[in-house]
Amino acid sequence: MPPKAAKSEYIETDTGNKISRRSQIHGTQHIILGGKTVIQAEAVIRGDLYRQPSTATSLDGSNPAPAPHAPSVAITVGRYSYISKSAVLRPPSRLHRGVHSYYPLKIGDHVFVGELAVIEAASLGNHVHVGTGAMVGSMAIVKDYAVILDGAVVPPGMVVPSWCVVGGRPARIVGEVGEGYGVEGAEGGMARERYRLVGKPQ
Amino acid sequence: MSRPFPYTFISCPCADTPVPDPARTRRSRESPRKPTAEPPTDPDHHKSNTQQADEVGQSDEEDDEQTFDPRSPRSNFSLYPPEQLLYCEDCHQIKCPRCITEEIVSWYCPNCLFETPSSMVRSDGGRCGRNCFNCPICTAPLTVSTIESVTGNASGHGPWVLSCGYCMWTTLDLGIKFDKPTNIRAQLQKMTDSTPATGYDARSRQGSRAFADLKSPLSNFASIDEQSTATEREAEREASNEDASSIPQLGAEARFAALKNFYRTQISETSNSPNDPLSSEFGFSSPGALNRLMSLYASSSRLSGLYGGNKKQKSKPPVMREALTAAEGLRIGSGDSDTAIIERIVSPECGWDGVASMSQRTDQSPDVRFVDELLPLPALLRTKRAKRCRSCKHILVKPETKPQSTRFRIRLIALSYIPLPTLRPLAQPAMSPVTPTASTPDLNALSPLRTYHVLLTLKNHMFDPVRITLATPSVTPGSVATKVTVLCPQFEIGANSDVWDEALQNATAPLSDRISSMRGGEKVPEAGKVWEKGRNWTTVVLEVVPGTLPGMNTEDGETEAEPGKALTLQNDEDILEIPVFVHMEWDAEAQLEQQNVGKASKPDDLVARELAYWMVLGVGRIQPY
Repeated sequence: MPPKAAKSEYIETDTGNKISRRSQIHGTQHIILGGKTVIQAEAVIRGDLYRQPSTATSLDGSNPAPAPHAPSVAITVGRYSYISKSAVLRPPSRLHRGVHSYYPLKIGDHVFVGELAVIEAASLGNHVHVGTGAMVGSMAIVKDYAVILDGAVVPPGMVVPSWCVVGGRPARIVGEVGEGYGVEGAEGGMARERYRLVGKPQ
Repeated sequence: MSRPFPYTFISCPCADTPVPDPARTRRSRESPRKPTAEPPTDPDHHKSNTQQADEVGQSDEEDDEQTFDPRSPRSNFSLYPPEQLLYCEDCHQIKCPRCITEEIVSWYCPNCLFETPSSMVRSDGGRCGRNCFNCPICTAPLTVSTIESVTGNASGHGPWVLSCGYCMWTTLDLGIKFDKPTNIRAQLQKMTDSTPATGYDARSRQGSRAFADLKSPLSNFASIDEQSTATEREAEREASNEDASSIPQLGAEARFAALKNFYRTQISETSNSPNDPLSSEFGFSSPGALNRLMSLYASSSRLSGLYGGNKKQKSKPPVMREALTAAEGLRIGSGDSDTAIIERIVSPECGWDGVASMSQRTDQSPDVRFVDELLPLPALLRTKRAKRCRSCKHILVKPETKPQSTRFRIRLIALSYIPLPTLRPLAQPAMSPVTPTASTPDLNALSPLRTYHVLLTLKNHMFDPVRITLATPSVTPGSVATKVTVLCPQFEIGANSDVWDEALQNATAPLSDRISSMRGGEKVPEAGKVWEKGRNWTTVVLEVVPGTLPGMNTEDGETEAEPGKALTLQNDEDILEIPVFVHMEWDAEAQLEQQNVGKASKPDDLVARELAYWMVLGVGRIQPY
């Protein structure tokens, strides 16, 4: 007897998010997906690393009691963003006043995160492209229309300005993208097309 | 950036403009057939078309300059990805980064994203004047952190350091701590200049005043012998002084400032006439300086014979001296400093890792040789630039000045005018019994002599419908001859409409897609027919038969890969790139000055436009077997 073929690879939510059943998403109540987001198989999204509401007493409590108010958001992902296979999204963390605490990770619209990339940035702007195997360090800020080349290691706390291309280990600004970057359908503007093709039979 | 297959590049026509060769154009006029594929008229034209293609391929040999060769070294400079190209509305031409000029709109620090006023850029040395530093070891940005933050008590005070989150270097390695977390650059400058800034100013002024007495007799006597002896004497005295103190007096920047200051005062004081050009602010680089030098040589050559007995004091220019004291910027290298450096390099505690690399030293003071002498580097500023057309000087791109803004006041990108090409392979129908199901071919391994169908979609961003004519050389240039046929070389693309229409269209788009995918199994590419058509895009089919790579034996059916022969492939010969000539025509709304010209044939406010360019479709890589 063949296995149930009806179950498709992707769960499609009301807002159009396409989430692979083989992805690993932790702490879903701390994750906001903007809609039409694609999360591919084996992607790891660590929503459980959210900021503890009380910084002082968080260490003693064995169970992180659910906050009385709304749960703090660990990861926000915008529309038409694409998290490729085996990518890792981890909220950034920092030692502040002797306490190690997590900060929210914000990902904008039309963002592409390549395979095996690790994102610990504080924010990725809109139309950001993160190449395959790239690593974006803790509390880095990647502005809109920035491109991170394959295999780049963006050091912690780096700011990547808009329209810049960074690459290397540690990443440096190696160039700029053209003015037409991000135009719908062109390089940097393929997000809608990418979304449409997900989950369609070949 | 290399791009994954499939990709499209567009050739800027500027690469061809400086080669008006009359012989070449004459030959092309005589050639019987243009290498453009004729518009097929009947369905079975396709076969004859390929036959023609072969003939054209023969006659093409001498016509080779006419078709664009993506492999020629020249095309390296004209091929650009579509999003990098601009469009000048006055020249009606594509503009690549080579045919524009740039001017700086604003300077900003890439780290703190603060704008630096252009008046400050020079004094700051083109670097961020705030707290932004790069690691001297690995170039990663440094963060300002307090030493006490680990212990948790009393954050907000205590010594601060710059630390690198990438290689874990901190300024503590140099023994540098900062008192406050702001204005680090000024603090650092104060530390590295061993003499405090105020003291240095006073001293230099005092020093120059002291030597002014020395200088005036010199400039009067102007005897070179005397001066040199005086210099030597002075230098010896200085050297002994320095040996006594044995501390370098000034940091590199302060020494440079002192020297600059010294020479400036020298120039102003040795120039005896008030209108001497050297006394002006322009200094040595002004054309007046050349005058002065010329007159100096002319007078000395005339008077060289009777040098000592010269009585014409007035014609003799005063002689400048060199810096004599450390306060003026003099530094005397000690003789054994080199041996000390060598000893240190050799010593086991320094080793390879202790010596600064060339790339680390490029931005540092020239004396720095060891890793523990490297200072944190203030972040280099970046610019936002406006772009102008080189020929008509019209502004093509003007970004907003604010560093954080990604908007443009003017942005004339080529993609708003020329159709955006996208390429995608067509799923192979069951061509051979080996592959029973339809599958998209692997573009990184195209097998030779097999027919592939590639879908080329052109999307129009203009608000006017466009008529397109495509043409390819029937055989691609280069040593790997791939046959290419555009099945429908002439077609129209609808006009772009506003965003709301597009939104409506998008709602229906999946439906049409589903239909096409359903039909995908039976839909067969037909010559002379458009594959698919949307509101503002049209897809046509290219039939591609990859050629065999050189050094492959395909005569008797069995293919053999010889590793030795495969090496003879020149770099990327196996990449299948198809040059396509695009000719587009449309009726645009006439601008004011053109209204009179185009009124004869067209309705009032429409004027016929055309644009032609080459593009290159990177289809894939041919498999070597």
